[in-house]
Amino acid sequence: MTDLALQHYLAVGAILFAIGLMGFVTRRNLIIMFLCTELMFQGIAVTLIAFGRYHFATRPEAFFASQAFVLFVLVIAAAEAALALGLIVLLFRRKQTLDAEAWHELNG
Amino acid sequence: MNLIAASNLPMVVSPVLILVLAIVAGIGTLMLLPSRREAATRAIGGVVVLTGLLILAATLVRYVASQSESMGVYFWIFAAIAIISALRVATHRRPVYSALYFMLATFASAGLFVLLWADFMAAALLLIYGGAILVTYVFVIMLAAQAGGRGELTEADTVAREPLAAVSLGFGMMALLLIVIFDKGQVIVASSPIMPEGDTSVRALAKYLFANQLVNLELSGLILTLAMVGAIVISRRRVPSEIGVVASPFIGDDNPHDIAVTGTTDPRQKAYPET
Repeated sequence: MTDLALQHYLAVGAILFAIGLMGFVTRRNLIIMFLCTELMFQGIAVTLIAFGRYHFATRPEAFFASQAFVLFVLVIAAAEAALALGLIVLLFRRKQTLDAEAWHELNG
Repeated sequence: MNLIAASNLPMVVSPVLILVLAIVAGIGTLMLLPSRREAATRAIGGVVVLTGLLILAATLVRYVASQSESMGVYFWIFAAIAIISALRVATHRRPVYSALYFMLATFASAGLFVLLWADFMAAALLLIYGGAILVTYVFVIMLAAQAGGRGELTEADTVAREPLAAVSLGFGMMALLLIVIFDKGQVIVASSPIMPEGDTSVRALAKYLFANQLVNLELSGLILTLAMVGAIVISRRRVPSEIGVVASPFIGDDNPHDIAVTGTTDPRQKAYPET
C-alpha cells in the first residue's frame, strides 16, 4: 500500500497555486506579480507530475506524458519570463517606477 | 476492486475543517501582507498562518499514520518549505528577498519531483528556474533599485492593493480546491505502488518525447527562439523620455535613417545610400 496518497501532492500544488493567485492580485510591484505567476506554474507542475506518478502502475505512458507536459510548461514559463521582463524594463524606463498602479490609465 | 476499497476509506479531512483553516490562514495572511501596520502585527499574522498550516499537517499526518507505518518525512519537509517560502514570496516587502524565497520554493518543488521519481524534471526545474529565470529577475530588480531606489522601499512595495479581496479570492480558491481534492480524490488513492516497476530513466523519457511528442518538442524550441528575439526587440526600443539623452547612436529604433553618420561633413555621404 502507498505511504503517501496522491491527495497530499495535489494539496501542495493547490496551495502553491492559490498563494500565487493571491499574490498576483494583491501585490503592486510588477516583478513580484510575475514571480507569483511563476509560483502558479510550479503548483501546476507539482500537480501534473503527481498525477503521472500515481498512474504509473496502470498506465506507464502517463508518467512520461506528465513529464512532457511539465517540460512544455517550463518552456512557456521561460518564454513568458523573458518577454515579461523585457516589457517590465521598457515600462520602467518610461515611468521610472515598478508600480503597477502607475499604468492604471490602461484600464480604459 | 481497488476502486471499491478506496471509496470506502474515511474522509481524510472534513470540508468544514478545510474551510475553517482556510479562513484562519487567510486572516493571518491579511495581517502578513505589506501595509502601514506595525511589524508586531505582521509577526502575529505569520504565527497565525503557521498555526493553520500545522493543524492541516497534523490532520493529514494522523490520517497517513492510520493507513501505514512509514510517514514519508521528506515529503513533509519539502512541502512545508515550499508553502512557507511561497507565502514569503507573496508577502515580503523587498523584491530581492521575494526572488530568493522563490528560489527556495523552487528547490522544495524539485525535492517533491525527486520523491515522485521525476528526477530529470527536478534537474530541469532547478536549471531553468533557479539558474536562468531567477538570475534574470534578480538582474532586473537590481537595475531598478540602482536607477530609482537608493535602497528605500517605495509605496508600491510597502502597501498591498485590496488585501481583503485578494486574500478572500486566494484562500477561497484554496479551500475549494482542497475540498474537491480530499473529497473526490479518494478514488485514485489505491493506484500507486511504493516503487514503480519499469523504466523511469531519462532514457525512457527521451524515447517517449522523440517518439510521441516530436513536433511539440521542435515547436517549443521555436517558441524559445521567438521569445528571445521578441524580448530583444521589446527592450531596445527607445522611450520618449530618453530621446536626446542617450549618447550612443546605436540605441534607438530600427530605422537606419536614425543612425548618425560620423567622420564626414559631406551631406551626400551623410545621407543614407538608398535615398
